[in-house]
Amino acid sequence: MKRTVDVVVVGGGVIGSATAYYLAKEGAEVALVERADVASGTSSSCDGNVLAIDKMPGFDSQMTFKSQQLLEGLQSELGYDFEYRQLGSTLAVEDDEEQVRVARDWVARQSAAGLPMRYIEADDVHADEPLLAPDIVGLVECASDCSLNPMALVYAFVQAARQAGAEICPYMEVRSILRDGAGAVRGVDTSGGMICSPRVVLCAGVWTPGLAATVGVDIPIVPRKGHILVAERTARNGRRKVMEFGYLMAKFGGQEGRRVEPEMEHYGIALVFEPTPHGNFLIGSSRQFVGFDTRCDVRVLQLMARRAIRFFPFIKDVNVIRSYAGLRPYTPDHLPIVSPVNEVPGLYVAAGHEGDGIGLSPITGKLMAEIVTGKPTSIPVEPLRLDRFNQDKK
Amino acid sequence: MDEDVIVCRCEEVTLGEIRKAIQEGARSVTGVKRRTRAGMGLCQGRTCEATVARILARELGKKVEEFEPATARPPILPVTFGLLAGEADEENS
Repeated sequence: MKRTVDVVVVGGGVIGSATAYYLAKEGAEVALVERADVASGTSSSCDGNVLAIDKMPGFDSQMTFKSQQLLEGLQSELGYDFEYRQLGSTLAVEDDEEQVRVARDWVARQSAAGLPMRYIEADDVHADEPLLAPDIVGLVECASDCSLNPMALVYAFVQAARQAGAEICPYMEVRSILRDGAGAVRGVDTSGGMICSPRVVLCAGVWTPGLAATVGVDIPIVPRKGHILVAERTARNGRRKVMEFGYLMAKFGGQEGRRVEPEMEHYGIALVFEPTPHGNFLIGSSRQFVGFDTRCDVRVLQLMARRAIRFFPFIKDVNVIRSYAGLRPYTPDHLPIVSPVNEVPGLYVAAGHEGDGIGLSPITGKLMAEIVTGKPTSIPVEPLRLDRFNQDKK
Repeated sequence: MDEDVIVCRCEEVTLGEIRKAIQEGARSVTGVKRRTRAGMGLCQGRTCEATVARILARELGKKVEEFEPATARPPILPVTFGLLAGEADEENS
């Protein structure tokens, strides 16, 4: 392999592989270094949703919308089937005045910002999704939302990156980032030897802080665990993605309008229903700060199953065949970090997407390539800068 | 052996698809599973996992013992959402 490159990308998940792809496309000599197989961490223990529906109106939802537009073209551009389907998604609204009010307001704000969203009234709810519980009184719909197979998306980016000239190095662990006398990046030390490079991009999700710590840089990313249940193939299945509207409240920490038991709230449980093109479906979700433990907690799975039946009664007779849990890279303001590191010239970070890494991978990879090669960025990157977290300290 | 022979019956994955996944970089039973769906179906690899390990060993020139089974996750056997949710408890209470 090459021992000197323009850029080393650390991490073979969806963010690292997207970043390597866009960098190679820009003509940079890239080495993608991953300690295990590609798509073996968070990118293989998540779901495959690309959602603008649950993003905060403003920068957050616009960034996702931009990523969705890129993704549409990537299906042919990458030349690898990642099971892309643009069916739109919905949020199920329960019979609660406050929830209905907030949901209508959500649609109004997102539509005003240019997102293809609408509110589906009670009379039309069951025409849109006949399997929903009878007491669901409304649906928020976002037509641009889509789903895909996250692991296949990683393989697609990796294959295209390789074809564009990137060197893919799986089963090679980065031990530390190396600096020159002036403090700038000069490469990485790996289990397969040293790779010289004036630029290193950390795309290691929840493992990014550990790598950055080797050069004394603090990255405010914390693992947030999420469980998923997998159903068997079933003849009766939902048409498209449905989440409970209260999911927004669970995600952003608000409570009003969602009546669930304290235990359910404690584990951050909210319905996420995702049919797959293979005839089965996935059920989420939970949110817990419990370190790096990815074992499945049966109590959490029980509560998730209960929450899912509340919205989709038909599933009580469907078999669960598997469960899994992954670590979402959480940041305090729910926005990723796509940024240079001021203190270490040549060091960059693209991480911290929590549950949106799959959906935001195209725009993240593109932005990182633009930042590293000094091009104008596709969207403003100020809100994604690492130094936004230091402002209180200064 | 015929490339079209089905190795994973639940997800109908062929020998040819598994060989292709190994060429693409799969180095473990889990790596094959993620690329092909072999072992993702109703039986969760109980039928095909040993065969996938043997194919990996042969293609990569290693011993079959070097390939660990895919990560075990609950439930051990399929269970309905209703049972998992504790439907019975709720009805009795």
